[in-house]
Amino acid sequence: MAPIRLIVPGTLRYRDVAVRIVAEAARLVSCSSRRAPNDPLDHDVRDPFDTAVVSAFMEIFNNVSIHAYQRVGGGPIEIAITPGERQLVIELKDHGRPFDIDAVAPLPAELDVNTLPEGGMGIHIAKTMLDEIGYEPGPPNLWRLCKRLPGGANAVTRI
Amino acid sequence: MPSPAFDVQRSDSVTTLLVRGSLDINTAPQLADEIDRVIAARPSHVIVDLSALDLIDSSGVAALVKLYKGVRGTGGAVTVAGARDQPLAIFKLLRMDKVFDI
Repeated sequence: MAPIRLIVPGTLRYRDVAVRIVAEAARLVSCSSRRAPNDPLDHDVRDPFDTAVVSAFMEIFNNVSIHAYQRVGGGPIEIAITPGERQLVIELKDHGRPFDIDAVAPLPAELDVNTLPEGGMGIHIAKTMLDEIGYEPGPPNLWRLCKRLPGGANAVTRI
Repeated sequence: MPSPAFDVQRSDSVTTLLVRGSLDINTAPQLADEIDRVIAARPSHVIVDLSALDLIDSSGVAALVKLYKGVRGTGGAVTVAGARDQPLAIFKLLRMDKVFDI
């Protein structure tokens, strides 16, 4: 299937429109239905496949906007979404600063009120939700996200 | 920028925070201001009602963690209720469902 291509300015202002398109692409693969099919403003992510894709994509879009483009934009995010029969592949290309994925700290082994993290959870969410996640520092920097049906093991990071 | 999607209701014994729609990197900063006000009031019990929350990202989780730590730090209790679908999946992935007792 040909990829769905979307180019948005690299700021958080355009995040929501990208998320909605990714959610619809996930539904093409999972064949899940919307709770409110006539309400384009309804956030409707219930299917586990859709949940994984949307959750991971939101975190990587955040990462690009914050780290690559330093919250001020200055370049595009080029998104290619390729639905397959049993998988969805999303590539995000940016022209900002490279990100050091190895510098991301893991979650604490034991969580309690003292160790609950208030940051640094985004990459962990994306890695755990996906079957594969790849990052090639540039510029251009390239993220490649892959989720397969049904479910799957934790992500393999390819750098 | 999305509108704030939360309500706060206060009674003598309980403060209830209802969060709707998407709690994410764009909306969490607005909730953070309200969270600061809730913590400053030193409530004895805060109920976070997530039954109308459809989406959350790590920034939204961080805001709720800040609320949890802040209220607990002043001797109060926090109950997180109603999480479903994607937000519940995120809490489970981060193992916060145990901490929040969801």
